[in-house]
Amino acid sequence: MTEYEHVTDDMEAVVEATELPKRLKTEVYETLETKADEHGGVTIEQATDIVTGVENRYIETRVDPLEPVGTVSAQSIGEPGTQMTMNTFHYAGVAEIDVTQGLPRLIELVDARKTPDTPMMTVHLEGEYATDRERAHEVVWSIESTRILALGDVSTNVADMLVRIDLNDDTLLERWPTHSDPTEVAGIIAETIEDSLGVDARQAGTVIEFGPNEPSYRELLQLVERLREIVFKGIEEVERVVIRKEQLEDGEEFVLYTEGSAFGDVLEIEGVDASRTTCNNIHEIYRNLGVEAARETIIDETKNTLEEQGLDDVNVRHLMLVADIMTNNGEIESIGRHGISGSKDSVLARAAFEVTVNHLLDAAVHGEYDELDGVIENVIAGKPISIGTGDVDLRMGSRVVGDD
Amino acid sequence: MVDVSQHELVPDHVLIDDPEEIEEVLAEYDVKKTNLPKIKRTDPATPDDAEVGDVVKIVRDSRTTDQAVVFRLVVS
Repeated sequence: MTEYEHVTDDMEAVVEATELPKRLKTEVYETLETKADEHGGVTIEQATDIVTGVENRYIETRVDPLEPVGTVSAQSIGEPGTQMTMNTFHYAGVAEIDVTQGLPRLIELVDARKTPDTPMMTVHLEGEYATDRERAHEVVWSIESTRILALGDVSTNVADMLVRIDLNDDTLLERWPTHSDPTEVAGIIAETIEDSLGVDARQAGTVIEFGPNEPSYRELLQLVERLREIVFKGIEEVERVVIRKEQLEDGEEFVLYTEGSAFGDVLEIEGVDASRTTCNNIHEIYRNLGVEAARETIIDETKNTLEEQGLDDVNVRHLMLVADIMTNNGEIESIGRHGISGSKDSVLARAAFEVTVNHLLDAAVHGEYDELDGVIENVIAGKPISIGTGDVDLRMGSRVVGDD
Repeated sequence: MVDVSQHELVPDHVLIDDPEEIEEVLAEYDVKKTNLPKIKRTDPATPDDAEVGDVVKIVRDSRTTDQAVVFRLVVS
């Protein structure tokens, strides 16, 4: 018996006899169920009609042998791409964080840029870190980079050749939640300054003073410059973290969004859920989670980019094909002359794509040979191409058909 | 160290240690072993006991069907 109220065993037998994949079968069951609810029952004839209709559509849309799926994908992504926004206009996508969108983002993805224009991470938390705002903030402070200007005021005393930092008690306690004494924290900060600037720092309460070893104007100003660059807490690459409460199916949780990314470092931080946290830099995903995760991320990111622009009718199979090709080698390759198109075996195919003369010249120097296996080579050579009907040979049999 | 296989983006990677199973796969798709997609030996998700030349079976939660099984050849 089925879990659906209105689906009889007969209907189930009809559905199960089709060639439909499991997800479509489930969808058919659900449709039958809702239709039955709306119209007070579905007869077996109606159900059979629906099921055969779905199956026919399914079989119709399957790829035929020798169909050029790559070309179809290229067009199916390319045409909607012409409708995307051209400018890099950033707007508050998620939680006031600027994210590159539209065409620039899509180009960035298929070019497999080493770092995206606007790297970001979505950090999920585990246990009570996810439910308790205080604890979630602990994670925020261990991710967001804290520089001196966030902690207090910096002033330069030119007469005495001293840099003076007045630290703010409340900020110190807020950002170092494990300490209860601001002076203690000021000690840590003074040590960090000594280590990274190579000066002697004097600390009194939450005031830190230090100066150049040799009295010099330039030294003094440079010290202040370098002081501003020091990261006292958190991850250098992460400029900002936004905390947001999100609804889950069972309750709510805090999720962090970061501007800047350091995926590997974040996974190690206590309180971070290392099974759900993600990042929009496919190379960082590749380094930390491997090629299969990178493939998933490419699909997700391209899909979201298109959906963001209202182009959600691009079939996900095209994006999957792109991701498959980009990760086929075990590492991420870009689409284009430095990646896939540039690594084709055929000289003519490469020459037809970009920088024709260079490819022909190199090929001539190295004495390359072209097998004329691909499509472009055969178009150039004026031969039938090896896709679709062009790849089918007919042979005349020696017997008359039906003469067995 | 973070356990990579626990991440929801990482599908199951299983090392095939039965040579016959590999032969069956190659025969089904009519390809040579080197035609398979690759995975690096150093890839964080590669099973620890996989050597170069081994084949890893990957079972993905597919977007278009229930589960998709793919094979990758371990390369250096």
